[in-house]
Amino acid sequence: MTGDMIIFAVSAVVAVFGAVMMIAQKNPVASVMFLILSLLAQAVCYVQLGALFLGAVLVVVYAGAIMVLFLFVIMLLNLRGREDLGLSSHPMNTITKFLLVVLLGVELVLIVKSVFMSGAVGGMMAKPTDDFGSVAQVAKLLFTKYMYPFQLTGVLLLVALVGAVVMARKDRSEIAHGAPSEEAVNEPTAGKVGR
Amino acid sequence: MLEMIIIAAIKVVVVIVAVLTGCAYSTLLERRVVAFMQNRVGPNTAGPWGLLTPLADGLKLIFKEDIVPAGVERMTYALAPVIAFIPSMLAFAVVPFTSDFSLFGREISGTLSDLNIGVIYIFAVTSLAVYGICLAGWSSGSKYSLLGGIRSSAQMISYELSYGLTIVGVILIANTLSMRELVAQQDTVTHWFIWRQPLGFLLYLTCAIAETNRAPFDLPEAESELVGGYHTEYSSMRFSMFFIGEYAAMLAVSCVGTTIFLGGWQGPFLPPIVWFVLKVFGCMFFYIWLRATFPRFRYDQLMNFGWKFLFPLALLNTMVTAFFVLWKG
Amino acid sequence: MTTAAPIIDLNLMIPEIFLFLWACLVFTYDLVTKRKSGNAVAWLALAGPVLTGILTVVMFSAGFYGYGKAAGAMFEVDPMAVFFKIIFLGAAFFAIGSSFGLLKNRIVNHRGEFFGLILLSTVGMLFLAASREMISLYVGLELTTIPLFVLAAFFKDDRLSVEAGIKYLIIGALSSALLLYGMSFLYGLGGTTDIWQWKLEVARIAGKGEGVGVILTLSVITILAGLGFKLALPPFHQWAPDVYQGAPTPVAAFLSVGSKAAGLVAFAKLMIGGMVAFWDPVMIPNDWGILTAILAASAMIVGNVVAVRQSNIKRMMAYSSIAQAGYIMVGMVALNDFCLSSVAFYMFAYMFANMGAFAVIALIEDATGSCEISTYAGLSRTSPALAVTMTVFLLSLTGIPPLAGFMAKYYVFAAAIQSAGASPTFGFLYWLVGVGLVTSVVALYYYANIIKQMYFHDRPSTSPITFDAPMVMVLAVALCGVVVFGLFPEPVLQFARQIPPPYELFQH
Repeated sequence: MTGDMIIFAVSAVVAVFGAVMMIAQKNPVASVMFLILSLLAQAVCYVQLGALFLGAVLVVVYAGAIMVLFLFVIMLLNLRGREDLGLSSHPMNTITKFLLVVLLGVELVLIVKSVFMSGAVGGMMAKPTDDFGSVAQVAKLLFTKYMYPFQLTGVLLLVALVGAVVMARKDRSEIAHGAPSEEAVNEPTAGKVGR
Repeated sequence: MLEMIIIAAIKVVVVIVAVLTGCAYSTLLERRVVAFMQNRVGPNTAGPWGLLTPLADGLKLIFKEDIVPAGVERMTYALAPVIAFIPSMLAFAVVPFTSDFSLFGREISGTLSDLNIGVIYIFAVTSLAVYGICLAGWSSGSKYSLLGGIRSSAQMISYELSYGLTIVGVILIANTLSMRELVAQQDTVTHWFIWRQPLGFLLYLTCAIAETNRAPFDLPEAESELVGGYHTEYSSMRFSMFFIGEYAAMLAVSCVGTTIFLGGWQGPFLPPIVWFVLKVFGCMFFYIWLRATFPRFRYDQLMNFGWKFLFPLALLNTMVTAFFVLWKG
Repeated sequence: MTTAAPIIDLNLMIPEIFLFLWACLVFTYDLVTKRKSGNAVAWLALAGPVLTGILTVVMFSAGFYGYGKAAGAMFEVDPMAVFFKIIFLGAAFFAIGSSFGLLKNRIVNHRGEFFGLILLSTVGMLFLAASREMISLYVGLELTTIPLFVLAAFFKDDRLSVEAGIKYLIIGALSSALLLYGMSFLYGLGGTTDIWQWKLEVARIAGKGEGVGVILTLSVITILAGLGFKLALPPFHQWAPDVYQGAPTPVAAFLSVGSKAAGLVAFAKLMIGGMVAFWDPVMIPNDWGILTAILAASAMIVGNVVAVRQSNIKRMMAYSSIAQAGYIMVGMVALNDFCLSSVAFYMFAYMFANMGAFAVIALIEDATGSCEISTYAGLSRTSPALAVTMTVFLLSLTGIPPLAGFMAKYYVFAAAIQSAGASPTFGFLYWLVGVGLVTSVVALYYYANIIKQMYFHDRPSTSPITFDAPMVMVLAVALCGVVVFGLFPEPVLQFARQIPPPYELFQH
């Protein structure tokens, strides 16, 4: 095992640990923090694999922007525990959850096993080129080979934008009648904001 | 291998000490400059010209009682100052402080680490700084802190986009993301990117001030409304961690601004490191000057300014630059 | 640094681009009329799928537009794409047509966005139908579902609708994550995202005797789970009833047909297009087919049995659509020459009957504000024409001859039986068809229950229902579709049979 391998293994374990702890936490803020930890560890994995740019972008976009937004919403609603989220479990849901977890767990173990025990698996161990993961390389792929899905993503962003505006914007009738929908949205947390 | 590690370790220690000293004396600089601007004297008793004031301040804060109010989320409360402090320190890892030099017969590079995506790295780590403030506000269990934390996360999210966009123009022109390479391209004063990206530079300054929560964008800690904002409930060392973190962030954005727009360590006659320090000092002075001059924004003004003015302008700057880059081939 | 981008042959994408621009036009029109456009914006939106359909057909017959590949072979117009495009456009047409009633009091704001998002979701489906590469397939699938999250939650002051939106959002995100997880392993195995190239590459690696089995099996399972959520196949179905109940009725209809067809296309492309060469037991033992068969069987059983107990008609239709997805999957696992054509035809017939039934439900909901099955009591007394129409749709969904639903079921089961007879590997298909036939009888019970309510209750619970013009159009078209394609399925079937058999999908 080389040093690279050890760093990779450690950060991979931390990433999985963070993800597991994120689900296991009762406190939503702690969940967010473990998710950030997991994301940072993933970024280290990317860097270790030579994808420096992807690693940095992962931190900028997910840890730096999206998770801040999550934390912001949690703080705004002042959620402190599971009861605030109004979570309850239907037995069927529990079964499905359990099945999924078992499935993914088995998957993880088998993949780790097949990679580490039986050596290389087909194309999995493809040697990256020198400028693999560099900005230029990523950009070149995006604007040549994957131009078409990249452009499609533009449409996707438009949809997300329109959708967000529709969902977030106060409607005319609501402004006129003193925001009736406000009540429906806030009801579960009413009385808890501002303690 | 071992030699490399030792050199790197020494460099890290030197940079950390330098940055911390810089932070300490920035506070003195701020207090003196603001005092002169307001026709006062400022702290001048500890040592000659008050030069020992930061030391006295530091000692005072260390020996103060560390008060942990009841009803805080202990883990998060303890972690928050550290989280606020670390990202701004990390940013210095890719800043080219000086040209490469040789010492005791060894070639030593002027940066701690020359990442080929240095600029993005800086944005990645500085974008994490918001967590410290956010978590401090949330975990303190006080409404002033919470409001301060919420304000700061909203503010930082809003200005992050423009902040990132402001330097895209420079990157497009320079065609590199390496800080070192950026400095190398600004070898004479006329090649400084500030001349080719004047709007970009102004936008960078504005966004940087907003990102570091400084006046006139210092709403998260607006005293008249929020007492101390997110750090209301903090005292002693924990409080000073926030303080150092804030000044380290100011220094970091000044260093980055210097490197990207003002030619970094490049300059005639004087040794590179002197030029670098002078330029950073200029940026810091500008910061303080603004604080002494402008009143604080109102919250809605801040949001409108960020989203409806800065952001479109930054986009425009990027597009116009991209157009010219393409046009000239 | 000058690397030429692959030339994107936009000619082949004209229908997609046209519909996208049309959706933007709908947004803009709503904006410039200061959002007081009334029904005009709905008519404008309704023209979108119609014009796109006409455009596709006209260009096709005029030779401007034919089968072919574009964008570096990531985009391909083939018979399957064209057939499913017609289904998607049809679903959008019906969904928009039955939304006019909502404009009176339920959707007063964001009308342009409501219709525009339906159109954009359709654009995503069109792109999905034409993709032959994993990334564009995934982006197409996301483009399909993201507007639907918003559409499901469109009644912002209705808690059920908001709940539907949130549920669908979370399930959608989870299923996408699972799908992507599986696809990332596929990419890891083959080193390419092009489905056909990938198949060749993995066949080559497997030919060298290197172990791909475990990872392939696992990615198959993950992809099946992801698509299982999208298609609402038990045990991944629990979101469906809640979402259908809470979402605006035309959106629920669109979900049950458009989104389902999109999931089917993704399934066909990934599993049948990418994996069928591995049906060979050497590569991957029958897991793939057996797993899908289990999902199909559980869909038929759970869907039909639970539907019996529902008192809310939208929930009932949700379970019914789960069951219908089960029948479709029976055709999917047949994996012979008729498999994809029978699936396509089933979807085609299902579109008319299901969209028609949902249109009636929307109409009655607009008139009475209720979705309870008891509302339908005595409908034949007050609105006999509507009752007859609804009866035809329900009978078609049950699969009663001579309606289109019967032909569809017949072809699906025939494909399965033929496949089972041809090879002992497919012996389990006999069981699957058996389950299908038995559960069809259960289906008859709950569909007939509504018919009973409509005809055999003396005291009507509704006053006569009034129609508006678009609703008449929608019901007429759906009724014609159900009857005509039941009696004369041959032209459509002929077109469906042009879809290549599983082994040759993507092969050229």
